[in-house]
Amino acid sequence: MGKRKSRAKPPPKKRMDKLDTVFSCPFCNHGTGVECRIDMKNLIGEASCRICQESFSTTVTALTEPIDIYSEWIDECERVNNLEDDGTLEGRADA
Amino acid sequence: MYGEDEYDPTVVEEEEDDDEEITQEDAWAVISAYFEEKGLVRQQLDSFDEFIQNTMQEIVDESADIEIRPESQHNPGRQSDFLETIYKISFGQIYLSKPMMTESDGETATLFPKAARLRNLTYSAPLYVDVTKRIIKKGHDLEEVTETQEFTKVFIGKVPIMLRSSYCTVYQNSEKDLTELGECPYDQGGYFIINGSEKVLIAQEKMSTNHVYVFKKRQPNKYAYVAEVRSMAESQNRPPSSMFVRMLSRTSAKGGSSGQYIRATLPYIRTEIPIIIVFRALGFVADKDILEHICYDFSDTQMMELLRPSLEEAFVIQNQQVALDYIGKRGSTVGVTREKRIKYAKEILQKEMLPHVGVGEYCETKKAYYFGYIIHRLLLCALGRRPEDDRDHYGNKRLDLAGPLLGGLFRMLFRKLTRDVRAYVQKCVDNGKDVNLQFAIKAKTITSGLKYSLATGNWGQANAAGTRAGVSQVLNRLTYASTLSHLRRLNSPIGREGKLAKPRQLHNSHWGMMCPAETPEGQACGLVKNLALMVYITVGSAANPILEFLEEWSTENFEEISPAVIPQSTKIFVNGCWVGIHRNPDLLVKTLRQLRRQVDVNTEVGVIRDIRLKELRLYTDYGRCSRPLFIVEKQRLLIKKKDIQALQLRESPEDGGWHDLVSKGFIEYVDTEEEETTMISMTINDLVSARLNPEEAYSETYTHCEIHPSLILGVCASIIPFPDHNQSPRNTYQSAMGKQAMGIYVTNYQLRMVRPCSYFLSYVYLLFFLQFVIFSLQLRLYSFLFFSQDTLAYVLYYPQKPLVTTRAMEHLHFRQLPAGINAIVAIACYSGYNQEDSVIMNQSSIDRGFFRSLFFRSYRDEEKKMGTLVKEDFGRPNRENTMGMRHGSYDKLDDDGLAPPGTRVSGEDVIIGKTTPISQDDSQGQASRYTRRDHSTSLRHSESGMVDQVLLTTNADGLRFVKVRMRSVRIPQIGDKFSSRHGQKGTVGMTYTQEDMPWTVEGITPDIIVNPHAIPSRMTIGQLIECIMGKVAAHMGKEGDATPFTDVTVDNISKALHKCGYQMRGFETMYNGHTGRRLTAMIFLGPTYYQRLKHMVDDKIHSRGRGPVQILTRQPAEGRSRDGGLRFGEMERDCMIAHGAAHFLKERLFDQSDAYRVHVCERCGLIAIANLKKNSFECRGCKNKTDIVQVHIPYACKLLFQELMAMAIAPRMLTKEVKPSKDQKKKGA
Repeated sequence: MGKRKSRAKPPPKKRMDKLDTVFSCPFCNHGTGVECRIDMKNLIGEASCRICQESFSTTVTALTEPIDIYSEWIDECERVNNLEDDGTLEGRADA
Repeated sequence: MYGEDEYDPTVVEEEEDDDEEITQEDAWAVISAYFEEKGLVRQQLDSFDEFIQNTMQEIVDESADIEIRPESQHNPGRQSDFLETIYKISFGQIYLSKPMMTESDGETATLFPKAARLRNLTYSAPLYVDVTKRIIKKGHDLEEVTETQEFTKVFIGKVPIMLRSSYCTVYQNSEKDLTELGECPYDQGGYFIINGSEKVLIAQEKMSTNHVYVFKKRQPNKYAYVAEVRSMAESQNRPPSSMFVRMLSRTSAKGGSSGQYIRATLPYIRTEIPIIIVFRALGFVADKDILEHICYDFSDTQMMELLRPSLEEAFVIQNQQVALDYIGKRGSTVGVTREKRIKYAKEILQKEMLPHVGVGEYCETKKAYYFGYIIHRLLLCALGRRPEDDRDHYGNKRLDLAGPLLGGLFRMLFRKLTRDVRAYVQKCVDNGKDVNLQFAIKAKTITSGLKYSLATGNWGQANAAGTRAGVSQVLNRLTYASTLSHLRRLNSPIGREGKLAKPRQLHNSHWGMMCPAETPEGQACGLVKNLALMVYITVGSAANPILEFLEEWSTENFEEISPAVIPQSTKIFVNGCWVGIHRNPDLLVKTLRQLRRQVDVNTEVGVIRDIRLKELRLYTDYGRCSRPLFIVEKQRLLIKKKDIQALQLRESPEDGGWHDLVSKGFIEYVDTEEEETTMISMTINDLVSARLNPEEAYSETYTHCEIHPSLILGVCASIIPFPDHNQSPRNTYQSAMGKQAMGIYVTNYQLRMVRPCSYFLSYVYLLFFLQFVIFSLQLRLYSFLFFSQDTLAYVLYYPQKPLVTTRAMEHLHFRQLPAGINAIVAIACYSGYNQEDSVIMNQSSIDRGFFRSLFFRSYRDEEKKMGTLVKEDFGRPNRENTMGMRHGSYDKLDDDGLAPPGTRVSGEDVIIGKTTPISQDDSQGQASRYTRRDHSTSLRHSESGMVDQVLLTTNADGLRFVKVRMRSVRIPQIGDKFSSRHGQKGTVGMTYTQEDMPWTVEGITPDIIVNPHAIPSRMTIGQLIECIMGKVAAHMGKEGDATPFTDVTVDNISKALHKCGYQMRGFETMYNGHTGRRLTAMIFLGPTYYQRLKHMVDDKIHSRGRGPVQILTRQPAEGRSRDGGLRFGEMERDCMIAHGAAHFLKERLFDQSDAYRVHVCERCGLIAIANLKKNSFECRGCKNKTDIVQVHIPYACKLLFQELMAMAIAPRMLTKEVKPSKDQKKKGA
């Protein structure tokens, strides 16, 4: 005898999303191209795109997570782009 | 009667006459005043009235104006004079009428509950609203022209009205008027009538919001402690936003750092944020500022030390912008600029974090203080200074009653209505049409939305997620007590499968609020509860008066103070929100209480002063359980004898009464949380003895006194005599059984066409013999119509009020609407026919009418419209032109197609004749002799009786509609079920006429003989005491008082019995009815109140030789109502095998019941095509016409094979021995 179908179970509760660790590359736009490395010994964090090999490195602290490095990269790009727009400095896009 | 008179300690030396203290007996006058004013379903009525009178208008007011701007479209033909036209629609005052009903001919009249019940209508009142339409035209030169149109009283839907609420047509009618209107004067309302069926809204329990809970995590766990707040802003219909603040476990911290970091979760932020960063983001940057908000007292080194790791962790983030960026980066925005991230974080902090503290601008200080408080509480728990919070404490629970439940639903539906209006107006405006508000407002949204939820119990929109089932239930009308109890029920929506025992257990804080005995057994045990008799559920009041009061009484808010003063002062919370501090809490609390006792502040406001935490918590929200208590000052009740006398002597129930006692400050409502801050004496005598000899007193600081301890019980448990002498599960059993006892369930039962106690919701299998298979598909469509209305009622012939009563029964109207008989019960072994919980019953008593009862069942049908022209017709079907006629007799039908009242009907007799015309084109080419199909209703095949009443009327759609009520008399017989009021149930095992029953010297014979073995293991001493008290009561011609927790003792009763000339303990010498000899043992004999339960053999008896089978499986049908088979299951099969009767087993189970013959291709092993007439056999796949064999297999097996084949699995029946390799090769080829 088959088990009688019981009432549909409520959908499982949504867990909080994990923080991203892979990002879309600001240069080649590949969706999951950027990965971050954090070197706690030397306090250096590096984000690099495995597709176009663009990279960015910065200093890190104990609280730094991949998203911080990536966000800093984005800010840096923004800064450089604005400078370019002003026409004062050129050719630092690959910072 | 048995003791109180002899022993009355309060009569002792009491002072001046004017100040004479009251006695416990006087408390009953107070209790009577309470029930006289409130009745037993006050929570339902209050809650619904609050919804009608306030909530509904609030919901309409809080909806923003609808503003529509036309989508700018280039329209070459027309050039408008105006640049832009804006339409604004706003909703204003609402108006609710009394319940109305519009007939199909357009006539509108007031609707009365009786009509609604009988005609399957919905008892609802139309709702109107004032609508303002403004058209603002902006010209090219920025000039504005506004046209305003007012529409008054636009109909927006019908709202079901709770019976006996202030908008009910029979609100506050006199007993006489009620009777004339066909209402039962004892019925207390509190339910709705939806499509003629009475619906109760079951209160739903939930955790209270805006409250900090701190829990210790069971190790090993990543976290050691968690503080949790579910924050919900007032009048916001959003799901609560939760915030967690967690302290990590010592070991789990990675990197071996100092360890216990504290982190918080913020809504929409994907990781936990260190608390210090949250503070910095809120604008509190300096370590000192932050610590001041958490720790208040810097000399508290322990707590400061706990915060050190967190400060160190957040050392790298030292200004607000960086902190905001840190939070913003972890939100849902990835890859945006810094400015945007900061803005996003700011918004989250302002709008989403702790919304109950504030969602406006400049709330940072308040939020920081509250956030700091959460951490403070967490740390207190972590330091072991306070225990973790108790999830199950009833102070942490809130109850959603009819009002809030309907409010939520109404809010959702009103939003939907405004959304629809908006869409419609937008469409009109875009198409350049005139806006007609009458068309824009779809009244059906609210009408059918409310009706749907109330009718099905699915709370929320149909087919939408997050709906709760079972919120609305069909009111149980089996017996009066069951109705009352159903109206006071509540449900905790926790998964029934959950193994956790905690939420099911009786909690200390349930005292006086929830009945300790009345709960179902099994899966819902402890999750479904019933209110105790004197509970008041708050309906909620505005917090503003309280806030103003606090302001006036020098509460300092955060702008005025420095954090340094917090440790010396008391924090003040209003509805969980920290509003400020106060330096003289003693005075403040005293004044507040004083004002509340004078009713200057709402009596339902909760005032909790937590001295240890230095907090004052005030609550004005809805859904708190509270109960009235006598106020005690200086160990004396404030209420005095003269007040009781005034109460008893008052002329009309309106003046004086309960509300007067409250407003004079004798009594106040205390909620579950406030109860923790009080000292309550159990009885008035406790206070007296505390005054007389203080050394032995339990306490000298009593603040309150119980009105009476027996009021902790609920409706069903209050019917039990001496429940304090029973083992507790027996009281639970009786609480469940009392709901199945027959009695008189309402006084107007003759005017009701009994409504269902429980719906027949099971899927109806249609089982027909072969000739019906052709029609079965069509019939399946109609099947639900035949079975949908199953309605029954039981009424006892000569119900008696019990000889042994409780005081609470008076208010439950158990004397007026009793459910049982005072039977003379002997506890004896006699002839052996009362073993294993069966009883012997006196046949002569039965013949005299003992426990005779009526049984009613109504059947209902309507002339449904099929399309526009074709309609079903009531009438006597004619065999000449009607197909599909029933088996039963049609002779009982009158010309109108209905069996007239007084007709004796039985078996499958047709009682409602109804036919449907069949159009000729779908008669499937059959001979067109038939023009109609039969859709009659016949009596259930196992029942018989008399047609009692026939009601022919029209329903809401104007269709002809009939209800036929069948009546039969049920005389007790062997197998019927009876019980005492102590969870002692049993079935009749034998009936003896009077001469065969044992008798006493006085010639008394028992009505019922129960077996003595029923007593010792079950420990229902209450029943024995009831019996001897019943004997005394019968002799003295008085009622016995069996209220629990009084000073009535067995010894007193025994003495009274002895005075009546009987053996003290109720024993009697008896003589055997068969032999005339004296019985060796003395028999315990006396009147005991017995109940007849609804389970009767005649409704259960069932056997079958052969009968209907299911079409698909050819297995016997299931259930007595379908004349189903009785399963010969695995265990029975095992027995046969164990007996060695294998061949018998095969013969019964296979040859005689399930054998089937199939032809199998020997080559492929699959079923072949066989034509037995032509004697041709073929397997098409193998092109084989010769190698075919016949096998016998069970039909179920054949079905399985075919189903397997349907899913591309080939079950091969190999009839020959498989030869190893050679054969397989052949098959492959």
